[in-house]
This record gives sequence, C-alpha cells and structure tokens, in this order.
Amino acid sequence: MQQFANPRRFLKLIDAVEPWAWALTLILLAIGLYLSLVVAPEDYQQGETVRIMFVHVPAAWMALLAYLDMAVASAVAIIFRHPLADIAAKAAAPIGACFTFLALATGSLWGKPMWGTWWVWDARLTSMFVLLLLYLGYIAIWHAIDDPGRAARIAAIVALVGCINLPIIKFSVDWWNTLHQPASVFRIGGPTLHPAILTPLLVMGAAYLALFVTLHLTAIRAEIMARRLRQMELARADEV
Amino acid sequence: MDLAAPHLGFVLAAYGLTLLVLGGLVLWLRHRSRTLAAALQQLEAAGAPRRRPIAEAP
Repeated sequence: MQQFANPRRFLKLIDAVEPWAWALTLILLAIGLYLSLVVAPEDYQQGETVRIMFVHVPAAWMALLAYLDMAVASAVAIIFRHPLADIAAKAAAPIGACFTFLALATGSLWGKPMWGTWWVWDARLTSMFVLLLLYLGYIAIWHAIDDPGRAARIAAIVALVGCINLPIIKFSVDWWNTLHQPASVFRIGGPTLHPAILTPLLVMGAAYLALFVTLHLTAIRAEIMARRLRQMELARADEV
Repeated sequence: MDLAAPHLGFVLAAYGLTLLVLGGLVLWLRHRSRTLAAALQQLEAAGAPRRRPIAEAP
C-alpha cells in the first residue's frame, strides 16, 4: 500500500484504470437495467412496484459501503498517517451522501403505494436518515475548517464515531419491531428471494459497486489536484 | 413491464430520480476534475513553484 503513498504514482494508476472501470460500469448498468425493467417478472403482491427495489436496495448497500470505506480510510489516516488516506475518506463522502439520499428517496417512492405513507420513523428509516446527517456533517467539517490537517483529524474522528450507526442500520430490522421488512439477501441461511428477482438485484448491485469505485477514483484524483493547486497558490503567495 | 400497471408513476419517478442524482454526481465530478486540471496547467504555465519554501530556522 505504501507504494501508492506517492500521489503522482497513484494518479498514473487512476488514469490507467479509469476507462476500464467506466466501461465495466456501463456494461453492468445496461445488463442490470435490462434485467430489472424487461426480464424480471412483476411481484404477486407488489406488482410493478417491485422494480423500485432494483435501484433502492443497491443504493442502500452503497450508502453503507461508502461509509465503511470512509471510516477505514479515516482509521488508516489516524493510525498510519498514509498521505492518501484522508483524501480517500474525503472523496467518498459526497458519493456516499448521494447513495444515502437515493436509498431514502426511492424507499419513500416505494413506501407510498405499498405502505400507504411516504415516511415512518421506524428504526431502519431513522438510522438511514442519521447516516445522511453523518455524511452531511462530515462534509461540513471539511468546508468549515481552513487548515486541511486539522480538518482531516476532526473529520476522521467524526467518521469513526459514526461507525456505530452501521450495525444499527443492518440489525435494526431484527432488534426492533419495524415496518421495514427484514434482511432478504445478506442473511444467515441465504437469500429468501426467488432467482428471478435476486439475479437482477445482484447485477444492479454489481453495477452500483462498479459505479462507486469509478466515481471514488475520479473524486480522489480531483482531491489530489485540489491540494496540489492549494500548495501552488500558497507558494506563489509567499513569493509575492 | 406492464405500462398500464397502477403505481407505474412511482417506478418511473424512482428510476428518473436515480438517473438525475447519479448523472448529476458524475457531471459534477468530471467538471470539478476538468476545472482543477485547467487551473493547475495555468499555474504551471505561469511558472508557479510546486511547493512553499521551507522556512529557515531562527
């Protein structure tokens, strides 16, 4: 991992990987959308509304994965002081926030016809809403503090403290009596979904994962350039 | 997909919103990358130093 501590070397790696990552993302998205909108049958209870699951569930998975990524990168930044770790953590935050917003919004669009309400303050929905607030708080810290080193330390601590919300989100449907249905894919005993529904869901999950990785690489590159620009502007200001 | 199904509007809204948010995120990230790359090139062309000089010890 230390060989990629040099941002210049890491930028070269991103430049080489990015076109392939975009190609893989687009192929998986095309297959996933075809399976979700054309091949998958309608549900005997939910009807066509089940198709919302193919964009809602992977968004929720990526919301959790992006936060886990942010927390691990923050831990690496604090423990090993790896120069790219806090950049990776900062770059994951807006992407994770978008996926969390999408999970909440598409869940709401499913909830209205199925539950008869846009929103309920049950444990799963509330803990996902807390996750969105954690992302927004984390982003706000980076914007509020001018010194990047200080901002990185405070943001890393917030990210690590916020990690406690991840198992709460995952197990909220088991620990409390919620309106949200229990886990049906990642559970002990295997998925409970029929393959006709599970296959498009997993393909869309893979597409979202590829999209997250691709966007994360793009965001890391932008953040490295932003820091280089700041350094050069400060150096030029010192010269004047 | 049955285009006459009830609640189809909710399905279309979910896919439309997903496209809007993820498409917007992609465009924002690409725009940010291009803007930063252009600003860096401009500074390098102007001969700006890459780093601040290390301050001398008193």
